[in-house]
Amino acid sequence: MPREKDDIFSIRDIIDSQLVTSDGRRIGRVADIEVEWRDDGSLVLTSLVIGPQALVRRTARPIAMIARFLLRNRFEHTIPISDVTQFGPTLQLRRAAADYDVGQADRWIARYILRWIPGSGY
Amino acid sequence: MKKWLSITLGIVTATGGFLDAGTIATAGESGAKFGLGLVWAVLVSTIAVVLLVEMIGRFTALSKKTYAEAIRENLGFRFYLFPLISEIIAESIMLAAELGGIAIALSLITGISWHIMFPIAAILVFVMAWRAPFDWIENAPALLGLLTLSFVVAVVALGGPSRQLLSTLWLPHVQQGDVADYLYLAAATLGATISPYLLYFYSSGAREENWSGKSLLLNIVTAVAGMGFGSLGSLALVFLGAIVLLPLHIQATTLGELGLVLAKPFGPVGALIFALTLFATCFGAALEVVLAVSYNIAQGFGWEWGENKKPVEAARFNLVIVLFLLIAVAIGLIGIDPLQLALLGSTVIALFLPISLWPFLILMNDSQYLGEKTNGRLANIAIICILVIAFVVAIVSIPLEILSGGG
Repeated sequence: MPREKDDIFSIRDIIDSQLVTSDGRRIGRVADIEVEWRDDGSLVLTSLVIGPQALVRRTARPIAMIARFLLRNRFEHTIPISDVTQFGPTLQLRRAAADYDVGQADRWIARYILRWIPGSGY
Repeated sequence: MKKWLSITLGIVTATGGFLDAGTIATAGESGAKFGLGLVWAVLVSTIAVVLLVEMIGRFTALSKKTYAEAIRENLGFRFYLFPLISEIIAESIMLAAELGGIAIALSLITGISWHIMFPIAAILVFVMAWRAPFDWIENAPALLGLLTLSFVVAVVALGGPSRQLLSTLWLPHVQQGDVADYLYLAAATLGATISPYLLYFYSSGAREENWSGKSLLLNIVTAVAGMGFGSLGSLALVFLGAIVLLPLHIQATTLGELGLVLAKPFGPVGALIFALTLFATCFGAALEVVLAVSYNIAQGFGWEWGENKKPVEAARFNLVIVLFLLIAVAIGLIGIDPLQLALLGSTVIALFLPISLWPFLILMNDSQYLGEKTNGRLANIAIICILVIAFVVAIVSIPLEILSGGG
């Protein structure tokens, strides 16, 4: 991503955006972000957070504990911001779908549920 | 040449897609109970649907984002939940009604009870949604849906409405005790016609077909001509209900009873044509409903989606299709007559209409998505009018349903 000067985005431009991998597969949406205080006093976006618990934390705080108890962090993932090659309503990612943990649910469901239905293409 | 072919196809699709269990139920009952007194409701909702379809088509063609995607991205997850949950509730009932319509059609043709036909209807819809490419889904039921023009032919064959009947167009015959009933059917008509599932489906279809800025003409023609022609079938059914059922004081409480409107002019062939038309329209609608909800969920959560992919390539999307059909089958097994389910579904849609439509006001004015083609002042006024109507309809729908005993 060309960087003559830092692009300024609003958080709104990143949260809820669609994530698409380099091979054109949709793997999910940004549920939350992680930021870091730098020594020069600036607040920097370091990674994107994807997962149902992050979504619940952001939208329904009171049941976040229940979500953590039920899901046990099994579906939470982070993607470093450096992996994003293009910003906008759709975030383009640097690597292919297989390189990311996100979106594995599709593979699991295909493998353990859908394959038993004829014509699934498995 | 190819452009004209796709425009024709678009009109055919919209024509075939206008009628479904909801619009058949409300149109038939309106005619049977109040003559032509509710034609205005059909006309108003047709105009609203034409405007909304054109807008969402334009939006998706230019932004390459579907309605559900745009709601989540622009309004955030929390606000996205409101239209999502309302859609899931309303469309569960609606899908059960559509499957019921298919089941009744099959039972009219085979003579076997519609309760047994119900799961078969679900399987038929599933097979189509599971493997058929988007082209088939769009075109096959639509071509069959042209059968709805048989309603128009029937009106002509019966000699059209009498003078006395025509007067109910602007002076509806509503007796003291029937006011709640009348208003309830008006609300249900609006809910049945301005169905959000149509907008989610149309928007996703525009992406499946890769619409772009060049598709804007196709979009306008599909919206105006397609929905316009489609409403002819609905209007014709109101007329038929008025001409055939009203004089006989038949209230049309089941979809099967409505078959009389074609049996009268055409005899037994008419009954068969009605059954085929019912099958075609409900089949197409069932596909649209189950896909609309699945599109909505998959797009809102950012999963892979699409009817041109193999099921395993969009696993969660297809799993939702399966689950949603199962939910509809469960509702259907309760055994409520599909016409009553269709009226209930339309009422619930009417109840949630403002929630499903208000994002239009924001999205259609967002130049980040639309560039220069954002709404003009007239279009925005139209949206506000539609929202006001939707709001009024939403508030009165449940009280009216209770007062009138559910039509």
